[in-house]
Amino acid sequence: MAISKIKTQITFLLLVKIKMNLMANILLNVLAAFLVGSVLFGLQRKIIARIQMRPGPPIIQHLLHTFKFFIKETVFPKTAAMPFYIVITIILCAIWVAAVIVGPVTEGSLLILFAIFAIHKIVEHNAGSSSGSPYGKLSCVRAVFSAAAEVPLFAVLLIIYLQTGTMNLSDIIAYQDSNGALLFSIPLAAMMFFVLILSKAYYYSPLNITMGKDLVSGFETEHFGMLRGFMMISESIAWYMLLWIFLTVFIGGLTPIGYIVGMVVITGLISLIDATTPILNPNHSVMTQVTLAFIGIVGSIILIFYL
Amino acid sequence: MDFTTLGGQFLGTIPLGDIVLYFTTFNLFMFVSALVFTAIIAMSKTESQIEADFGTLKDKEKKVSKAEFKIRRFLAIICGLATAGAMITGDVFDYTLFVALIGIVNIGIVAAVKEIDVLEAAFQYGIIAMIASLPLFAGAAFILASSGTISLLEIINIPTTTMMFFGSILLFIGVAGETGVAPFFATKAELFRTAGSPFLVIIHLSSLLIIVRTIEILLIINKPF
Repeated sequence: MAISKIKTQITFLLLVKIKMNLMANILLNVLAAFLVGSVLFGLQRKIIARIQMRPGPPIIQHLLHTFKFFIKETVFPKTAAMPFYIVITIILCAIWVAAVIVGPVTEGSLLILFAIFAIHKIVEHNAGSSSGSPYGKLSCVRAVFSAAAEVPLFAVLLIIYLQTGTMNLSDIIAYQDSNGALLFSIPLAAMMFFVLILSKAYYYSPLNITMGKDLVSGFETEHFGMLRGFMMISESIAWYMLLWIFLTVFIGGLTPIGYIVGMVVITGLISLIDATTPILNPNHSVMTQVTLAFIGIVGSIILIFYL
Repeated sequence: MDFTTLGGQFLGTIPLGDIVLYFTTFNLFMFVSALVFTAIIAMSKTESQIEADFGTLKDKEKKVSKAEFKIRRFLAIICGLATAGAMITGDVFDYTLFVALIGIVNIGIVAAVKEIDVLEAAFQYGIIAMIASLPLFAGAAFILASSGTISLLEIINIPTTTMMFFGSILLFIGVAGETGVAPFFATKAELFRTAGSPFLVIIHLSSLLIIVRTIEILLIINKPF
């Protein structure tokens, strides 16, 4: 009787320890994603500034901006659709925390990560339209228009599955351990995903039409104070996660240093493109992405089945 | 091949006669997301859209009238529930019905608006959705005729045939037309110019979630390995 009681207590303690470890793992990963994502955004601004012969802000500027918004007054436009206007920022944060759990913490299904990205598009759309501002509204219409650019996203999924036979990140990493990096076997899928990352770059991306400077801050224009702070935290985590997915899916499981080096390299490359290209108009942006997707899909199928 | 290679951990099924709902981590996440958005839409007010007025320095404020608000909210909730249902159904025909319902209510959500440009876009989207219903249901019919079942839990164990592949192509064309994704996206973007943000979001949400779910279904039907 006493032994079974001790066994039950040990099992309970072990379960508590496992849950505590999981919680700590999630918290650490979310914190790391936020800090690294923010610094990478700062690095992006710095590189763009140096290319344009400006000194540029410090690398931690994006991080400082994020913290600054938390001590600013939070005001709500009287035209806003309540409570959607507020809840949308919470949803944005929640989905990217979920992405960290599905990605680095549990190495779950890639389909879920892409579903999270699809919901991110919805949040972009609704954060813009819920304020009643014409800038937000135009950003919302462009978010819907740019949904055509999600074709590469879904095509990438199919191509990865055709090549590896799985959607689970842990299995994709194992596949690459024994067969080499997917970057070399399906390079056009990697190109399509890179274009997707480019379209989500925060500063001066030629393809990011929802955040074009003609729309002030796009869908974020009418979110102030703490709400904007939460949006910036989410975007930092989103940037980290997009780079993490790219590195994990196309190069394989790396060490933490490997991930940081890879993220800095990709951010540098994207900053170079951002600094040297104009922001395209919505039609050109969407058609560029659709054209690249078409080349990527047809080329990848030829690579997989005929070469 | 099994469900875990696509959607993560298999959590269980809910049999409703012939129709079996199933849950993997992926399906559950999408189902909950659709329900959360539907719940928020049900309790949200609409925004007042501010536009510049031509000829003066004043602003023009566009509001949603109470009668319009009621019908659009009702249709948005139906659309949200249909999307949630489509995320967990294990039956291809059931799935096509949900997609067709989403297409119909999407038109309804904007058809209640009294703006000529928006109504014209809704009309064009409606024509595409109606035309797309043929390949949508034909796709499901081809899959049934060639595999003998429309249950995804059964289809996953049946080797893919050419006719199943052909049915999948029809199904995909149907879904693309009903949800207004590329290449049918241009008219859909025009729908979003009207006021009523919480209701418009469900149109976009349903499209993207349906497309992600369609990829899962197509990979279940067409097993490349």
